[in-house]
Order: sequence, then C-alpha cells, then structure tokens
Amino acid sequence: MSAARPTGTLFTRCLSAAAAATSTSSAATAAPARCSSGGPASSCVVRQFSSSARLHVRRRPRFSNVRASEMGLVSEEKVANFSAEKFPRYTKAELAELAKRYSPEQMKALEAGEAAIDPKDLTIQGRLRVDPYRMPYIDDFSDIQPIIDRRPKHRQPPPDPMARFMNVDEFTKDLIEWADKFETGDVTGTLKKLSDFVPDQFRDVPEGQWPGKVRDTAHKNFAAYLEAESQRSKEDVEKGGPTDADILEYILERSAMTDGNRPSNSALAPALPNKVPGVAGLYKNAIDAADEGLDDSGVYQDLKRRTGMSVREILDVSVKTLVVRRVVNQTRLGKVASNSVLTVAGNKNGWLGLGIAKSTEPALASQKSALLAIRNMRPIARYENRTIYGNVDAKIGGSIVQLFSRPPGFGLRVSHRIFEMCRAAGISDLAAKFPRSRNPLNTVKATYEALLNQKNPEEIAIGRGKKLVDVRKVYYGGSVY
Amino acid sequence: MGIQSIVNACSHLQNASRARLGLTSLPNNKYNLRLALALHRAGFISSVTRAGAHPPPPEALLAFEPEGPVTAANVATRRLWLGLKYWNNEPVMKQVNAISKPSRLVTATLEDLNRVARGFPAGYVKGLNLGECLFISTDRGVLEVREALERKVGGLVLCRVS
Repeated sequence: MSAARPTGTLFTRCLSAAAAATSTSSAATAAPARCSSGGPASSCVVRQFSSSARLHVRRRPRFSNVRASEMGLVSEEKVANFSAEKFPRYTKAELAELAKRYSPEQMKALEAGEAAIDPKDLTIQGRLRVDPYRMPYIDDFSDIQPIIDRRPKHRQPPPDPMARFMNVDEFTKDLIEWADKFETGDVTGTLKKLSDFVPDQFRDVPEGQWPGKVRDTAHKNFAAYLEAESQRSKEDVEKGGPTDADILEYILERSAMTDGNRPSNSALAPALPNKVPGVAGLYKNAIDAADEGLDDSGVYQDLKRRTGMSVREILDVSVKTLVVRRVVNQTRLGKVASNSVLTVAGNKNGWLGLGIAKSTEPALASQKSALLAIRNMRPIARYENRTIYGNVDAKIGGSIVQLFSRPPGFGLRVSHRIFEMCRAAGISDLAAKFPRSRNPLNTVKATYEALLNQKNPEEIAIGRGKKLVDVRKVYYGGSVY
Repeated sequence: MGIQSIVNACSHLQNASRARLGLTSLPNNKYNLRLALALHRAGFISSVTRAGAHPPPPEALLAFEPEGPVTAANVATRRLWLGLKYWNNEPVMKQVNAISKPSRLVTATLEDLNRVARGFPAGYVKGLNLGECLFISTDRGVLEVREALERKVGGLVLCRVS
C-alpha cells in the first residue's frame, strides 16, 4: 500500500521501471547489493537519496607519472653544476670586503658557518617555502621586522637634561652662529687673483715675464670680474641679510638654553619631536561635503560608514529612549554609578532597531544607545503595512509578551513602550499582553524578539506544498479597508 | 486503544520532527492510518507507507509493494512508515498537540468549528493561529477543520498541528 503525492509521479515512474527490471518481489532491498557487486547497468538502482560519490569507483590519473630520474634531473653532474652555480664559495675579493666590516673572530665564525653547510645539501634539500604557513621573512636580516627584531636605536641624541641658560659668551657665540646663516658683507679669502686669468703655463711665472697680449687680456678680465663682484656684494647687502621675520623668529623661538636649539612643536614639552610618528594627521576632523553641514562634529561618520546611510537619512530615523536605569559597579574603590539607556530606532516603514548603552555621563549613554539602535535596525514583517502576521509570543527572563494582530482601524492598544516601538516600526493595529513580569527592559527586548520571529505565510505554504492566496487582496479589487 | 493511540502518535511525531528524522513509524491501525492520511493531505508529511518492522528502502517509499498481503498472522508486525518534511532548515510539522485524551474527549459542533477556524475560542478548543491546522474525527473519517466545514460535519477534536 502506498500513498504518493502527485508531484512525485515523475520520480515514481523511473523508480518503478527500475524496480520492474530487477524482479517482481523482494528485489527492492537486494538491488543496491547487486549494484555494488558490478551487476548489469540496466538493473542498477541509483540511490537518489545520497549525493556523495560511490566509494568503489577508484580514481585513476589520466596520465602516467614521469620520474625526475628518468628525465635526468638528479644525476650527480647536474646536481654539482647547479650547486656551483647557485651556491658559490666566497671569492678572495669578497672575503677582503667582508674583513673590512667584520672582526677577525666574526670572520672565523663566518668561514666556519660556510664550511658547515654543503652546497649539495642546499641543492637537494634546501627549499624556499611557498606554503601559506611560511614565516613572513627569509633569513636576510636586511630589513627590520618590528615583530621579530629589536627596536633600532634613535639616531638623535636624547634631550639634554643638563641644559641651562646660556651665559654671555655662549650667547654671543650662538648669535654669531645664527648670523652666519645670512651671507652679508665682504667675502674674504675667496676672491680670484690676477694670476687666475692667465693660461696655465704662466700661472707660476711673475707678471713681468708674461707676454704683452696675455697680460692685457688678464687685466681686462680681472677688471671685469672685480666690477661684477663689487656689484654683487652691493646687491647682497640690499636684498640679503636677516629680514624682520627672521629677527622675530630669533627672538621668539630660538632656545635660550644650552641644548643646541633642537626643533620642537611644543613650548611646554620641548623634548617632543616635531612630528609624532603614528599620530600625525589622525586628529583632523574631516568634514564631508556630502553631509550638507549636518555633521560637523563627526558624530555620525562611523554610523555612515557602517550602514551606508547618508547623514540626512540617519537624522530622519525616529529615535526614542524607552528605559533609563541607574546601574552601579561595585569596585574595591567604591561604587561607580552609571546610566544604562535603552533606545529604539525605526524608519516608520518596517525597520526597527534596539540599542543599549551605558556610560557615567547620561548624555553620552543616550547618544551611544541611539547610534547603536540605528546600527541594529532590521526589517520587521508587517501584514498590509499595518499589523503583524498572526499572534506571536516571546519570552525574555520572566517577561512574556503576547502580540495579537488586529483588523484595520483597531489602533495600538498596547503599553506605552510597545506603542513607541510600533510607532517607530510603522505598525498601526496591534494588541499586546504581559501575562507575567512587566519588567521594562525585558518587555521591550521580548517585544523586539516577537516582532522579528513572526511566521511567514509564504514559507509555510511552500513547506506544505500549498498555493496561498490572500483573499483580502482579491475581492472588491483589494480595496477592503 | 482508541484515542490513546492518537495521543501517542501526536507525541511521537512531534519528537521525531524535532529530532530531524527523515522517516518514522506508527503502529498500524485504522485510526493512525486515517490521521496519517489527513496529515498527508494537509502537506505535513511526504509519504505514508505500510511495511514491516524494518523501513522500506527509500527509493521505494512512493511505490512500495509489500511482500505479501496483510494477514491475521502478520498484521501485528505491520507499521505505518511516515516521511517527515523539512523546509528552510525547519520541520514543516513543528508542533503536534493532542486535544482529546481518554479521560476527556473533546467534541466540537459545526458552529464551534466555524468559530475556531476564524480564530475565536469555542469551549475547550482555542482559536486557530496563523498556519495552524485542527484535525477532527468525524463520521466521514479524519478531516482537517476546513474540510469538515466544507462537509458541514462536527466531531471529536483530535489534535492541533502547526
């Protein structure tokens, strides 16, 4: 006797054909055994209830293997050639170079290390690992790996703890040092002489022995050079030298202590370097033009990045604080009180989120919980965009919430916290009961869970193989409100 | 055994579904068979097959031919093998609650069933929620509550399935 669903007819047909081919009675259980013992293909009943491969079918490679020795890759000669090419000994020149850098003891250790490893072993056994679990470096030591290696020493000397204010002599010296940065006045000792303007063979000969033509040319060039030099030094005096800004910088910023005038970006902590590595640029408040000036303080930037909503959309979400509790953490130093805030957020169109945050500052806790609630928003199933599908229960702790769907125009006959949740989610017809504990926090959590765990009629219909039609949408052209 | 076999079958089906079994069996009797066929019509189970103490091979579930006729000698060893259904990682038949029990048989008139099918309570029977089915034993066999309403019969309320 059997009762089969109509959708299974196709399936049944092929199975019954196979069963008929094997035998009339008591063949169904024997068929798989015959199949595995290699019976005729027509009588083999395919087990359709398992998708794994059959074990007795052994996998064979499509091509036969060729060994490396058959290709002549592992002969003594090949190995020796490869070793000599890839792992040569140090030449004398290289050893001499190394000796400049390393001490004789280190050189001995180097040579001992070289002698300890046979290049043939490197050829046959040495491998550059390419597997995913290899170490993140080859033994090279040229790069510094912050995780493995010690931190390198600072190049700059530490700030001088013995620095003191300069005395008169030191101050004078420092001032001259500063003034030397500006090239002004006569340049001494660097001017060219007349003998620089003659050909090389007359350089060491006295001026009286120069030929007349050479002497005239040299005098002429020397005069032109002097003229140009005097002109240049006049210009330097006019446009060079310390400007007012330089002098102001000297008065205000030059260190009056004997610390070598090291640069610093802080008057309070002069030891800090000019730019702190790893922090530079992190504290900029980047204002996004797409925010239309709604978020200059950057509160919503993280939320924007996480949810993909614009700041305008985030501000349009309706947010309501439902539960505020004062909670206390007992430490050995005493009681630390803080505020725990539960907030709901919804777009009034089927999305609802719950956020719970805690802070010693009430305003901060509210803000954190609101951001969390917006982040946690999830879609809520709604029937006709006004009520829920069927009746739902949920339990958190001792609180049980029963939600009942209601007809159009019924309104929200629920407690005030569920009312706010329904308003945020866009539900307009609902009834609710708390048969047990009415703890504020747990009732809100249970309501959220109940709203998320509604049954889906479409899924139920698919599971049972039924066709589902909502007659409210069929009769009277769907205008049944 | 009467209604007790139905109560046992309800508990067993709920346990088997929650244990994610693919195939389970009930004792072979007329009451169980009628309930099983009603569940099959409602789409809660995939197949109903009568076989011996060992399950029929899976490929033969839908077209199984027993080795011989049911006789007085072998009827006690026959069992009903039911294929359970799952969808979206959830059992299709998640809850099976018996309503009548040997110490309290619950009957419902046609008016009661009308109320229950619309979601309102009637006597001992609570109203049906979304996706729930109620099975009634009538003089036309075991019917789902909507089938009973079509045929305008009331009867003994067996179980609530969802």
